[in-house]
Amino acid sequence: MTPEPLTVRSITPPECRNCSTSVPVDEHFCPQCSRIQSLNRQGDYFAFLGLPRRLEVDLQDLDRRFRDLSRKFHPDFYYNATPAERLASLERSSYLNDAYRALKQPVSRIEHLLSIEGLPLGPGDQGHAKVPPGLLEEVFALNEELDEIRDARQSGAEPSALASRLASARQPIEAKRDEHERALAETSARWDSEASAGAPERRATLERLRQLLLERNYITNLLATIEREAAHG
Amino acid sequence: MGKVVGIDLGTTNSLVAYVRDSVPVVIRDAAGDALLPSVVSVDAAGTVFVGREAQRRLLTDPSRTVYSVKRFMGRGIDDVRDETHLPFRVGGEAGGVVRIGVGDKEFAPPEISAFVLRELKRRAEEHFRDQGEFDFEVDRAVITVPAYFNDAQRTATRDAGRLAGLEVLRIINEPTAASLAYGLDQKNRGTIAVYDLGGGTFDISILKVEDGVFQVLSTNGDTHLGGDDIDRLLTELVIAELGTAGHGLPAETVQAIRKAAIQAKIDLSSAEEADILVDRAPALPDGFTRRVTRAEFETLIRPLVDRTLVPVRQALDDAGLEPRDVDEVVLVGGSTRVPLVRRLVEELFGRTPHSDLNPDEVVAVGAAVQADILISGRREMLLLDVTPLSLGIETIGGVTSKIILRNSTIPASGREMYSTSVDGQTAVDIHVVQGERELVADCRSLARFRLRGIPPMPAGLPRIEVRFQIDANGILSVSAKELRTDVEQTIDVKPSYGLTDAEVEKMLIDSFEHAEADFDARLLIEARNEAESVLHATEKSLRRPDFAQLAGAEIPPSEIAAIETALAALKTAIGDTDRELIHGRTHELNDVTRHLAEVMMNKSLREALAGKSIDDV
Repeated sequence: MTPEPLTVRSITPPECRNCSTSVPVDEHFCPQCSRIQSLNRQGDYFAFLGLPRRLEVDLQDLDRRFRDLSRKFHPDFYYNATPAERLASLERSSYLNDAYRALKQPVSRIEHLLSIEGLPLGPGDQGHAKVPPGLLEEVFALNEELDEIRDARQSGAEPSALASRLASARQPIEAKRDEHERALAETSARWDSEASAGAPERRATLERLRQLLLERNYITNLLATIEREAAHG
Repeated sequence: MGKVVGIDLGTTNSLVAYVRDSVPVVIRDAAGDALLPSVVSVDAAGTVFVGREAQRRLLTDPSRTVYSVKRFMGRGIDDVRDETHLPFRVGGEAGGVVRIGVGDKEFAPPEISAFVLRELKRRAEEHFRDQGEFDFEVDRAVITVPAYFNDAQRTATRDAGRLAGLEVLRIINEPTAASLAYGLDQKNRGTIAVYDLGGGTFDISILKVEDGVFQVLSTNGDTHLGGDDIDRLLTELVIAELGTAGHGLPAETVQAIRKAAIQAKIDLSSAEEADILVDRAPALPDGFTRRVTRAEFETLIRPLVDRTLVPVRQALDDAGLEPRDVDEVVLVGGSTRVPLVRRLVEELFGRTPHSDLNPDEVVAVGAAVQADILISGRREMLLLDVTPLSLGIETIGGVTSKIILRNSTIPASGREMYSTSVDGQTAVDIHVVQGERELVADCRSLARFRLRGIPPMPAGLPRIEVRFQIDANGILSVSAKELRTDVEQTIDVKPSYGLTDAEVEKMLIDSFEHAEADFDARLLIEARNEAESVLHATEKSLRRPDFAQLAGAEIPPSEIAAIETALAALKTAIGDTDRELIHGRTHELNDVTRHLAEVMMNKSLREALAGKSIDDV
């Protein structure tokens, strides 16, 4: 499959299928006849839930919004509705569930922000590709140590000795991870404080978030590798 | 429009309930029994029997009698190899749906389930007619399934409903249905764990309840673990102890042993020891008795109960919770009456589980409540369930690419882009699987789709967006569109372990050919059911470990002799086709046991009051 961007199709201002009133794109229901609207535009989970594009989210408020919208959209309540409304209810419910899931966790929240701000992580960015420059030193040391551990195992070394070597190999990576968690939190807070800042600053913050996320994915994979190695012993 | 009901289509028993003026009502038969045994028997003349009568026929005509069919729903022949001691034939082609042979006929599992559903529909219609309802027809239902049922098993259940002449408004999960029933009584909020161990399946669901929204956080289970397995262990214990005589026992005898094993299991829930009391049967002229202590029973079944704790821990983990974070634990399903089950659940969660509502009926009540929500549009309560298994597609090298992750709230959707690999290619094959494993071969094949009608273009140029939609029933549908041309694609579905629409249509037509027991036969069956419940109650009293002591003080030997005589007389009569005879002897037994019943009642009352101070009474 050739990766290429989606063709952008022009969106005509949506109209209510029931009464033909023109409905603002982020409205769930027709302001005129209050029928549920089919899902025209997709992409912005924040707007869908009526939230600003901020990375700090009050989880109780998010839960409440999720429950309220579920009560409005759920197919349970459209059993006797028209086929178009039933479809709209199914689409909006599914979309709401996706949005809630994505915004609930800080990392998937950042990923979503990046994608709607035009800096999406692609399928190749899940941490399997090339080593991020900021991690070169740690990765080099870890690989060397893992090679030695494998050799030692082959020549029949004591499993408990190997386990403690793996545990110490883990430490610098875990330290890196904690460092990244802090950096992600700080940069997220910076994004929230820059709501009225200029485009270049905001762009730089997003780039930084993206870089941190890529490194984080890489670190997660490193830890999984150590985990697998430990399982061998 | 006709009536709407909620149905718990269980492995061992099924029930039907509905909501009248906001109050759920469980519908009972003439003998006052809510449970309809999920057993179907087809005699040589082609007459179909369902429920207690079919259960009796297990002892007289086992090869024509089917039980636990739920274990075969949506399954392939390779999945059910471990099923042993079944009196009926199980067959089907490798890689296809299971077929169940009864006499010279073959049925797909949904057809057998449809007989059970039709009987429940009839029972409900009779109830509505008795209530003086003018419009008593039942045409729509909410049917429950184990939360851990996959797409094929859910679809098979929906097909069964359709075959029974019911519009299936919704398929809902058993543990969530139970939580809905509990939610009626207590306007509670918090985190709830529902532990549901039924006849053939085990489910655990973790829910968060707030403002009337029942949000499932995670679910897990085993669709092949339940009370049936306990019965099988006890049955095998007896067969093993019969030594060489146990080999090649006639099916009638195996069923007689199984029946005795089930009774002993039930007795062991309240007594410290019980007898597996096998009546005289073919190849077992003297019958067989084996005493089992609670301790021996618990050692025997411990591995089964331990198996339920693995999914429980996984579900907690998936919800990001520790056992102590759970505010309430609810027990559902008949098998949770086993004391060992209660004890282990209590140990794991560190709190006493709830079982205030009847664990046999709570699921049907929840289904009725959900049915009422759907038709009334009332919004006080809302169930948000999840899909139990990840949905994926096969990619290069037989690797699964996950599109919708397990424990996603439903409805849920996912999309995937496809293209072509050859110039002018107009069709693409897609293989959809369900499961958590990396390799397609380790997951459950759901269906193969063929996308057709792709406009001919150079290889790689078409951009086909395939959309996977899991609806509120947990059932998948697929649609596709080529984005450059905006052309919708046709999709041919070949379910891996299900029936095609055409097959269901054909079964619908065939089903009219099955004769149901006629009016006279039904009256006879009712008489037998009544006789059986009186027999059962009497035997239960006589078998009590403390009976001799009780009787010595209160019941003279002549009275006991009279009871034994009446009991034996009714046992002979129950196999007869003379309805009046059965009626007469049932009443005789009822009369001679009246005093015994009073004595037992007083004894239970004394026990209930014992240990309480006078102030509590």
